[in-house]
Amino acid sequence: MPIAQYALRKLLAGIPLVIGVTLVSFALMVYFGPDRTYELLGKNPTEEQIAEVRSQLGYDRPFAERYAGFLREVVTFDFGYAATGEPVATLLARTVPVSLLLILPGFVLGHLVSLGLALLAAYWRGRVADRLIMALATVGMSVSFVIVMIGFQIVFGSSDWLGWFPVRGWSTDSVGEYLRYIAVPTLATMFVAIGYDTRFYRALVAEEMTRDHVRTARAYGIPEARIFTRNILKNCLIPVITRVMFSIPSVAVGGSLLIESYFGIPGVGRATYEAIITGDQPVLKAVVTLTAILFVLVVILNDILYRVVDPRVSLE
Amino acid sequence: MNATALPLPAPRRDSLGARAVRQFRRDRTGMVALAVVLGYLAAAAGVWFGWWATDWGALTGTKWEPASAAHWFGTNIIGQDIFARAIYSTSVAFEVGLVVALAATALGAALGAAAGYFAGSWLDEVLLWFMGVLEAIPFYLFVAAVAFALQDSPWAMQVGMIATFWIGTARLVRGEVMKLRGIEYVEAARAIGLPSPVIIARHVLPNTTHILLVQASIAFVGAIKTEVILSFLGIGIRDGVSWGLMIEESTKEVLAGFYNNFLAASLLMFGLVMAFNTFADALQDALDPRKVG
Amino acid sequence: MDAHWPRPPAATRRTVLVLCAALLAAAGCTDPDRPAPAPKAGLRAFRYSMDQAPTSLDPTQAANVYANTVILNVYDTLYAYQYLARPYALKPNLAAGFPDVSADGLTYRIRLKPGVHFIDDPCFPGGRGREVVAEDFVYSLKRQFDPANQPQGAWFWSGRIAGLDEWKAAGANYDQPVEGLRALDRHTLEIRLTRPYPQLVDTLTSGYSAIVPREAAEFYGPRLGVRPVGSGPFRLVSYDTSRVVLDRNPGFRQEPVDLAAEGFNPATQAHTGVAAIAGRSPPFVDRLEIDFIPEASAAWTSFTKGDEIQFTALPVEQADRVLASREPVALLPEYADRFHFAAGSEAGFVFTSFNMDFPEFGYHPDPERQRRNRALRCAIIKAYDWKANNASWYFGLARVFPGIIVPASPEFDPTLDAGSVTRDVEGARRLLADHGWTAENLPVLTVGATAGVTSRLYFEQFRAWLGEIGYPPEKIVRKTYANFGNLSRAWKRSELPLVSKGWGLDYPDAENTLQLFYGPNSSPGSNDANYRNPAYDALYEQTSVMLPSPERTARYRQMNQMVIDDCVAITGLSRTRIYLWHRDVIAVPDREIVGGFWLKFVDLVPQAGAPGG
Repeated sequence: MPIAQYALRKLLAGIPLVIGVTLVSFALMVYFGPDRTYELLGKNPTEEQIAEVRSQLGYDRPFAERYAGFLREVVTFDFGYAATGEPVATLLARTVPVSLLLILPGFVLGHLVSLGLALLAAYWRGRVADRLIMALATVGMSVSFVIVMIGFQIVFGSSDWLGWFPVRGWSTDSVGEYLRYIAVPTLATMFVAIGYDTRFYRALVAEEMTRDHVRTARAYGIPEARIFTRNILKNCLIPVITRVMFSIPSVAVGGSLLIESYFGIPGVGRATYEAIITGDQPVLKAVVTLTAILFVLVVILNDILYRVVDPRVSLE
Repeated sequence: MNATALPLPAPRRDSLGARAVRQFRRDRTGMVALAVVLGYLAAAAGVWFGWWATDWGALTGTKWEPASAAHWFGTNIIGQDIFARAIYSTSVAFEVGLVVALAATALGAALGAAAGYFAGSWLDEVLLWFMGVLEAIPFYLFVAAVAFALQDSPWAMQVGMIATFWIGTARLVRGEVMKLRGIEYVEAARAIGLPSPVIIARHVLPNTTHILLVQASIAFVGAIKTEVILSFLGIGIRDGVSWGLMIEESTKEVLAGFYNNFLAASLLMFGLVMAFNTFADALQDALDPRKVG
Repeated sequence: MDAHWPRPPAATRRTVLVLCAALLAAAGCTDPDRPAPAPKAGLRAFRYSMDQAPTSLDPTQAANVYANTVILNVYDTLYAYQYLARPYALKPNLAAGFPDVSADGLTYRIRLKPGVHFIDDPCFPGGRGREVVAEDFVYSLKRQFDPANQPQGAWFWSGRIAGLDEWKAAGANYDQPVEGLRALDRHTLEIRLTRPYPQLVDTLTSGYSAIVPREAAEFYGPRLGVRPVGSGPFRLVSYDTSRVVLDRNPGFRQEPVDLAAEGFNPATQAHTGVAAIAGRSPPFVDRLEIDFIPEASAAWTSFTKGDEIQFTALPVEQADRVLASREPVALLPEYADRFHFAAGSEAGFVFTSFNMDFPEFGYHPDPERQRRNRALRCAIIKAYDWKANNASWYFGLARVFPGIIVPASPEFDPTLDAGSVTRDVEGARRLLADHGWTAENLPVLTVGATAGVTSRLYFEQFRAWLGEIGYPPEKIVRKTYANFGNLSRAWKRSELPLVSKGWGLDYPDAENTLQLFYGPNSSPGSNDANYRNPAYDALYEQTSVMLPSPERTARYRQMNQMVIDDCVAITGLSRTRIYLWHRDVIAVPDREIVGGFWLKFVDLVPQAGAPGG
């Protein structure tokens, strides 16, 4: 089946998913979410003002009507204005790039380093280096991200300690500034991600190494390095792609929430979290829709990539 | 979704339980880890039975006392005993971990088995759709949303975790059950007209125990670690005290040179999670004869 | 949002475009509406910090010090507080002088300074900012009464300015005149009141009264909240939840600083170097950056770093490492060499009131039970340990005082008996025993709180204190609310027996805190205690139309005593904050009353070769 046709079909199949995500999120975040009325009342409200604000915010309308309104917004891609008055589209255009710029270096480096460590560990399977790497990975996996974040901020940011990087904040005025600001968050993300990813990749590589075709290749005296690149790495690609691809939606939208809050970075994770806390419905609706669409796109892209990697996989 | 998410065909397991125990007992690291976990469990049990850490909320000292015989880890800003709070938090961690692990695994097993047994039917489709929907919502946003939607209930955090943690288990169980469905004795059971729920409960689910054990252990650790992050974000533990709350308390103190809260909570937590991770690895090795060492 | 806003016609199309860009572009997206912050060499910038971000920069949302801090620097108000005078004193700002008030105190005439212009902005014809006129003030106040704006400021003027509530009831049509709010000519304004309102001029210093041009409000619609167009000392460069960046408004009116008129006190303020600004026209810095940093520790680390934020409040946890002494406040040498500091008492207070509508604690149909309830409340008040509260959270420097007239009000009585804020465990036990309260029959006391460690520790302290007078700990229950809005809703709906609040003065007049216990302000109004005392209410009504006088003060104090005697509230404490700022900054910082009105006077010490930022 041609890729375009396949993608289109998958896209249509993604519609129920988008509807489901919007329904669940709407019920949770918007309908049962926090009531913004009381943040907007001033210091000495009357019952009449409360009713006015509730009506302005649409809280007095029935579920179905409000959800239908949301779906209309999904279709037209127009979510209106955030609580600040900023158009939601502008807000996303401002915050999504920040989150991507923040998270991508750590994401890419984290996966590369993990893969490297995993290959080394698998290559030296059972030896001291392997055990050491795996023990460290387990340690990395066992430390809470919060602890790493606090610790790294003190060690790298505080002038009492190293003081190499800014304590918090964000700047993209120049490449140098950008690198200075992402340094600590990136190190923290990598530290935690490497624990999980190394273990995952090592298990993968180790399994591939015991496959028949690898044994056969070895028996034929093909150099170990070549077996590694030709047979093992290539076969690992599909699970690697899956793992990387499926972390994209959460990385782009939700994953950096903790880092963005703690380091005061104006990304989309923080904006969304604040929207949940304050009940800023237009922002929530837009983010949820965006994530759902990204998710569907990732699923499709993932399947297509499979075929590129391994032509035997058919797009059915 | 995709074929690679399913585990590969597993060989028949005859005396799986006995062999796993034998294998596990040979694993020295695993045994040490298990001992550590049991030590933590004992500490938690003492709290449940009211043997110790009962005065975790009392003002027994003054602000920020250093470690002493009376206060092993010192006191916090209002004069509460940090050791008592850290030990009390151990029981909270077990409560969160056990509740989430058991509920998520049970839910995952039930729904995964139903989906797998009726693979291809509308039920399977609906369940798969539902899993996809929950997976497509970023985790922390989802849990935060649940916390708000449940209107300040003390169980909000646990519900949020259970509602997402079951999916991984369900997918694995579904895959396994799809294979088990074709096995002779299951087909035989069907042939003699046993109702589907009975077949699933008696003949199918017991064969997924190895998956459930491993998944439950992953959920247990996941819940404890997630608690820390959620409490830190202000959407976690509502009543009492927990490691996450202690760490949040410490964020202000560490920069003032007072590390007791931070060290007490993070070291205790690290010890438990590390031990449990190691234990879970050993368990996985013991249960999975295919696993490559 | 479900609300239907008027919006510019191209919005939908642009929305789609921008959203697509957000989906696909990894970087480099810029908002076409907003000028990109251009870094300039040698820019003289002041980096201020606050612990919270404002939700919106629309004057209708100027509900707190965070919003006001920004709004008052991009918009103009008719009046303002003097930069350096303490206690606070008013001065004309955009008004040419103080108002001419009629003999009956009902008609105010205010002249505006001529020749003041709004900043240049595309919302004006030709993009050039036009002159600020009296009609702009009329328009801006009407906006506080237009439900479409979800305004928060109406309570300042509701029922006071003739015809304004009727204007709202008639559909809030801006083209309809309001009887009591008129521009007599381009620069003269007339306000007619329904009854005397001695605090009117004070309300005209707040962000709620900031002057918005109609062109901007109509052109930008809801986007006015992120795109202020005013005539203030600064203009907005960028604004998000992490920081706001303002640049000097080059067209700001020339008004050389007269230190005497700003209330300069050389004895206490000379050390800040503030005398250097005399005779020059503010603003003095090219750029004002305000970082919003909720974590005090992160703000502290950033501040001590030297090249980041230049102002912070001292986190209470750092006190032992930074202070050489507390009375008087002094810094250790290594900090004193680098920073200026000031210990400021807040213009406001924290207090906990009993909700009198709960029959377990407050009003009860049975007079005997009602008497026992009063004893119970008084016992809880006696159990409260203000000293420990102060030591744990406010460096031991906060001011604990009896009643609800705060030290920052001119009517404060320092000689009042401190019995209601002195801990008396024995007295409390006796009171409970005498009125038949036992561990078995004491009612369950639910304390509402938001998540967060400090509020949790507050609660655990409170529970421990009550334990000492024999209140069983299991009867003191914490109910956690997901966010402040939900907690606030529970209070406003009268669902909790205790309400713990901080109240910042809107103006330095005890009326602002006395109204907190005025019967008609009961829930959902600001009287969360639902205290209804006819004698109190009568006094309040009398004093609310009186100008400041010894007689009014006497009645204020009478009301204060009623609240104390009835044991309605555990009160109160004015928090102390210790502010620090870098030595190269010339300022007398303050975040009380409205907040931010002093930022235009901030200057930087010229340094040879050092960049300003």
